[in-house]
Amino acid sequence: MKLRKLTALFMSAMMAATMMTGFTASADEGEYSDDEIVTYTMFATMAGSELNDDNEIMDIIAHKLGVRVKETWLTGQTAEEAIGTIIASGDYPDFIDGGDGSKTLYEQDVLVPWDDYLEKYPNLKEMYTDEEWDQFRQDDGHIYWANVFQNTYGEPKTTMHNDEAFWIQARVLEWAGYPEIKTLDQYFDLLESYYEANPTMEDGTPIIPYTVLCEDWKYYCIENAPQFLDGYPNDGSVIVDKTDPSAPKIVDYNTTETAVRYFKKLNEEYAKGMIDGEFATQTYDEYIAKLCTGTVLGLCDQWWDFGYDTNDSFKTQGLDLIGCNYVPLGLTIDEGMDNRWHTYGDTLNVASGVAVTTSCDDPDRAFKFLNDVLDQEIHDLRFWGVEGVDYLVDEDGMYYRTAEMRMQAADSNYQASHLCQYSYLPQWGGTSRDGKNAMMPSDQASEFLDGLAEPLRNCLEAYGAGGYPDMIGSVIEENPPWFPMWSFSNNLSTETPGGVAWTKMREVKQEWLPQVVMSDDFEGTWEQYMEAYNDVNPQDFLDEMQEELNRRAGIE
Amino acid sequence: MKRKAKTKAARVPITWKEVKRQKFLIICSLIFVIYGIIFYYVPLGGWIMAFENYKPKTGLLGSKFVGLDKFKFLFSDATFIRVIRNTLAMGVLNLVATFVMAILFAILLNEIRFGFGKKLVQTISYMPHFLSWIIVTGILHDALSNSGIVNELLLNFGFVDRAVNFFANKSFFWPIVAFANVWKETGWNAIIYLAAITSIDPSLYEAAAIDGAGRWAKIKHITLPGIKPTIMILLLMNVGNVLNAGFEVQYLLGNGLVKRVSDTIDIYVLTWGISQNDYSLGTAAGIFKSLVAIILIVVANQIAKRSGEQRLF
Repeated sequence: MKLRKLTALFMSAMMAATMMTGFTASADEGEYSDDEIVTYTMFATMAGSELNDDNEIMDIIAHKLGVRVKETWLTGQTAEEAIGTIIASGDYPDFIDGGDGSKTLYEQDVLVPWDDYLEKYPNLKEMYTDEEWDQFRQDDGHIYWANVFQNTYGEPKTTMHNDEAFWIQARVLEWAGYPEIKTLDQYFDLLESYYEANPTMEDGTPIIPYTVLCEDWKYYCIENAPQFLDGYPNDGSVIVDKTDPSAPKIVDYNTTETAVRYFKKLNEEYAKGMIDGEFATQTYDEYIAKLCTGTVLGLCDQWWDFGYDTNDSFKTQGLDLIGCNYVPLGLTIDEGMDNRWHTYGDTLNVASGVAVTTSCDDPDRAFKFLNDVLDQEIHDLRFWGVEGVDYLVDEDGMYYRTAEMRMQAADSNYQASHLCQYSYLPQWGGTSRDGKNAMMPSDQASEFLDGLAEPLRNCLEAYGAGGYPDMIGSVIEENPPWFPMWSFSNNLSTETPGGVAWTKMREVKQEWLPQVVMSDDFEGTWEQYMEAYNDVNPQDFLDEMQEELNRRAGIE
Repeated sequence: MKRKAKTKAARVPITWKEVKRQKFLIICSLIFVIYGIIFYYVPLGGWIMAFENYKPKTGLLGSKFVGLDKFKFLFSDATFIRVIRNTLAMGVLNLVATFVMAILFAILLNEIRFGFGKKLVQTISYMPHFLSWIIVTGILHDALSNSGIVNELLLNFGFVDRAVNFFANKSFFWPIVAFANVWKETGWNAIIYLAAITSIDPSLYEAAAIDGAGRWAKIKHITLPGIKPTIMILLLMNVGNVLNAGFEVQYLLGNGLVKRVSDTIDIYVLTWGISQNDYSLGTAAGIFKSLVAIILIVVANQIAKRSGEQRLF
């Protein structure tokens, strides 16, 4: 990633020179002149790629709306450290997405309430229903941020599985003749037999059958699979057992029978050399770099955490043509169980989102900007690009891209110098306001199918799947009112016993889970792990979760 | 005692005349006194935080006073006890390793008679000092990774049959940190010793040679005693630094798996003070660290004084 950033910077000058000839930015068409444009800063507690300062679409948007946003991302430190440092310095950006630190920011009184501006700016108001907005209210009754993701305009169009899954490269399935893979055991059996037959890539690079990320909060990759394997949806930090619908119950997925079986499986596979020897100590950057080489056959992760990087990288390297792209499998621990890996409908995450800080000298202008980036024209610029350059429109008004355009859009240098998604500012999924197109190219049905590389298309066809959600085959059901519970646990602070337990549970799990996997004596190490785990009073945490569950479910 | 008092009395008495005469010197030193007050003493006001439940919102003066509560929490927290252990262990290990290596290296380098080679080795060896830790840890990470040079050698010579993940093993962590310190600082630290060695009167060596001393005897009886004062002063200064065992190395090389042995006091301060927003606890831990450092340096100085060695104060 870092290298990519550097090269992006380095290449930008060259790109700019070549671009000038083929494409002239419509800078002078806008309503704002250069002196009238203000530059706002934005920080998001996520790893991301910085755009070039002279990014072309950013420039077009700036001339249309009078605002340019300089985004900076998390580099090296954890989200909490980054937010803590910002608070300690008192030097706030104009826009901020505090992630898990959002509540801390609110407590510092540095966020501007949205309430008045919601009435003033219809696009913002439109993002959520009144009931949904109410859920964003903090204990002082005001709204301070809005989550920008998982928000569908009109008909849902999604063809992606943006959630967690056990992923597998399409070529593995193809090699095995597209078998039905339903359980964890079948999954690893397949990886094993494929690896035995193909221990290296064509050029001799050794293949890594399975890797899993354990770094910082992204250790969810290794720790939360048991909830899914048991057939529960992504409540993230706990299982909600609703066998008795009138009294849903919090269950700890760390100690279930399934958890033991899952980690025992990983332990066995590690001993067989099936799991990446560096899995326990790799950083996120190393992990992504590894995945982008196409040598990793399988992994467990959320799509948004790796999928955009791998897809773009496979495309530019031509690895998609040999079937390196990942497809999701809806695994359970035993055969014949329902799975709920895919979340249908929108997940309302009220725990974090984009906020305007009191450092912004003109909040009204900032909110107007947030409102304006939701205008269809700007939204299309952000996600589709410039008409005629990044996409074309057919007679029916449908947007489409040529193969070259897709290739171009996958290029990281082009992304830095030309495309400007403002990916942590308000946005829509689903159907465009024209009623035909998708808000995002990745959701456009024709785009999805045409954009698929041959092996991937064959794979989806073989399973009779129209998109990734079909591939994973989750149960379709309405989300209960408390879903997802992680939006509560994400904001726990160490001021409550449950929050302290939650922090310490995480430390214990981060220390022990990799050891459990790498141990020569699974039972012994598991016992030690459980001892350390019970020492930090997980019950305190579970009690607080139960309390919140009751509140959300409306049980007194 | 009497003699001491006498020597003191023999000093120039402070009179207005004398002050006027030394006006320039006083002004010069005053600048540094003011600098010291502003940059070293005024920030100590922040220590108040450790005795309150500090919140940035309410500020230094408006936050609730809680007395020694934060310190009580600190010492009842098993994690804090563990980070003290880690810090001390790594601090001592680093101190001993870098110290011994630097002296050895300086002496060996001094024995090289071939001028160009000596300069070359010296230049190359102190270069790593100028690398930032992020680069050094990057190099270490690569060298010790599963496909890195160390594992490649181990595999090729058949010492292991599967690549060793050095960073996943708790017992490797401290030695890796010490090694990193040695690699980075040996050449640089040796410069001072080399300088001290050059100031030794060459006639001593000549006289020793005439007496039939070989290289070994010269090192033992001339070079080492010659640089002993330098060694003592540096040792004293470094003892006070033992608790500064490092932040970057551990932060950059550590991971969830070895956290138990890798976290130092500084990382603890960062985690609580910055990430968990408990500035008070972070400050309390910082105060504790400073106190221990002061105690260490005073004790070391006393020991040096008793044994009649060079000392700081």
